Amino acid sequence: MREANVMLLAKSCLLLLLALVAPGVLFAEETVCIQCHGGQPGRLGEPVNLWRQSVHAVNGISCHSCHGGDPTDFANAMSPARGFIGVPKGEAIPDFCGRCHVGVREDYLQSAHGEALGLGGPQCVTCHGNHAVRLATPDLINPQDCTRCHDYGRADEIKSAVVETDRMIADLEHSLEALHRVGIATKEMRGELFSLRNDFHRLFHSVDVEKVRSQTADYQQKLGKIRNRGAAIEEELARRKLWGGVVVALLVLGGILAMLLHKAYLDEERR
Amino acid sequence: MAWRKQIVDWLDLRLGIRDLLEQNLTKYLLPRNINIWYTLGAVLITLFVLQFVTGILLLIYYVPDPAEAFLSVTRIMNEVPFGWLIRYLHVVGSNVIVIALLLHMLSVLFMKSYYRPRELTWLSGFLLFNLSLGLCLTGYLLPWSQLSFWATTVATDAAGAIPLIGDEVVRFLRGGPMVGDVTLGRFFALHVMGMPLLLGLLVGLHLFCVRRAGVSRPPFGPDYEPWEPQGSFRHQEHPGGIPFFPHYTTKDTAVIFFFLAALLGVVFFAPWLFLPPGALEPADPFVTPAHIKPEWYFLWAYQTLKIFPSKMLGLGVQAALMTFLALLPFIDRGPERRPARRPLFVACYVLGVLLIAGISVWGHYS
Repeated sequence: MREANVMLLAKSCLLLLLALVAPGVLFAEETVCIQCHGGQPGRLGEPVNLWRQSVHAVNGISCHSCHGGDPTDFANAMSPARGFIGVPKGEAIPDFCGRCHVGVREDYLQSAHGEALGLGGPQCVTCHGNHAVRLATPDLINPQDCTRCHDYGRADEIKSAVVETDRMIADLEHSLEALHRVGIATKEMRGELFSLRNDFHRLFHSVDVEKVRSQTADYQQKLGKIRNRGAAIEEELARRKLWGGVVVALLVLGGILAMLLHKAYLDEERR
Repeated sequence: MAWRKQIVDWLDLRLGIRDLLEQNLTKYLLPRNINIWYTLGAVLITLFVLQFVTGILLLIYYVPDPAEAFLSVTRIMNEVPFGWLIRYLHVVGSNVIVIALLLHMLSVLFMKSYYRPRELTWLSGFLLFNLSLGLCLTGYLLPWSQLSFWATTVATDAAGAIPLIGDEVVRFLRGGPMVGDVTLGRFFALHVMGMPLLLGLLVGLHLFCVRRAGVSRPPFGPDYEPWEPQGSFRHQEHPGGIPFFPHYTTKDTAVIFFFLAALLGVVFFAPWLFLPPGALEPADPFVTPAHIKPEWYFLWAYQTLKIFPSKMLGLGVQAALMTFLALLPFIDRGPERRPARRPLFVACYVLGVLLIAGISVWGHYS
């Protein structure tokens, strides 16, 4: 029952994110949080600039989405009565982020990293950053960051296991975007791809080489199906262009013939 | 075929069909040095017919309801066999029509074909040009995309600059304070019935004027002389000219084919030229896009409104320009039509075209 609830909540969060992303790039509105903190120097002002570079900002997630509070009322913006949470301490961070990233939190807590929480192990902001939050990508797995606690061997294996699939996802995203640009309805496929990508990025957090490898094959199979559908559409578009070329050539030829006929009539008239 | 001759004989006895055909085709003479610009009329008729046919086909599947419009267009593009082709022909065709209209107007201007007694031809043509732009504007909203919704909001908002009754005009155009379902219904009716009927009547009037007054002679070549109109009406004849059929119709056909080739070239190979990204998302009244610009042929008007300190002034300048263009035949009344002998006119012509083009480019990049 707990598992089902968690799954339902995870799907709800994914749908929410999808709804936010679907209309295109949305920039979070200017809230009183941004107006107040943005004008201050030093420690209080710095988070705003960092946040503007984050994946959260691009997707319309603003200060109050995580820290709570009332984004429209200067006087009471940071009132606990208005739901203000403030800054979480180290061990509370996974629960803080996990209010939206439910599945990620689950995988993290079950991982070796999660087991080391509070014992010097990493939590969310260790890899993703706090306000300049970075999207989960294979680039977060790198020698500089991972070797702060342990050698890079197993991390490198995980990165090798996921990088190809991540590239497949990126290629598919570009392909679907190109199809969309010429009027093909790709919303359904993009939704599937978005869901797959989020599930896949969640997989990173289990830091389990065997698990990553075994599930990667499954992900690649699903991606292959989407790619096949996209390829079929692209083939149809190529066929259209071929026929289009034939039609245009015939029209130009017809025009030339008509012009030659016109000149023939004029010459006949002149004779 | 004997039966064919019998049919023609039967009709000829009652309608004089042979004489009718002769008078309008084989015995209808055009100036010998008639140039290629004169074919644009036939091109435009062909393109209008294409819009009419593709428009009717689109009506079979299009749903003029805000909740359904975008979905129905998506269905046309993705599920209806050749629906994508029909829609692209309609969308790209409207842009090609504007290009052809501009070329037609500019060539008539340059050759001073609007000269007496062809003032009515010019006026009806001018109205046709504006009516075509109106059809583009009303048709633009129908897909109910993010781009069309907000572009229509901006376009109708411009009417608010009219002194005294501006706000009422905006409300009338939109059918309410905001662009909404009433606006869609109103624009749909105008686009599908109101304006096409008016267009048909104006085309008829335009062609009647052309046929009645006769085709004007190009003001080029050594044998050209200014033609002084008589005190009473007289159809302009061209003895020694070429027959309309088959000599000139083959030329018309050639240019029509070239225009259709260009149209289909864009349709098959670059349809995105006239469908910006905003045209691919459904309308959301609660999210304003960062940049809203009208179509390329309205950019000069859009930028003119921004240049002047007040919208009313900008709108006034546009109105003055359009009025000047409409009344040009009554302003420029000299008998000389040869461009080489009208340096002031040519200078104004070139500078005017460059000015409009420059303002449009400025509007595109600002």
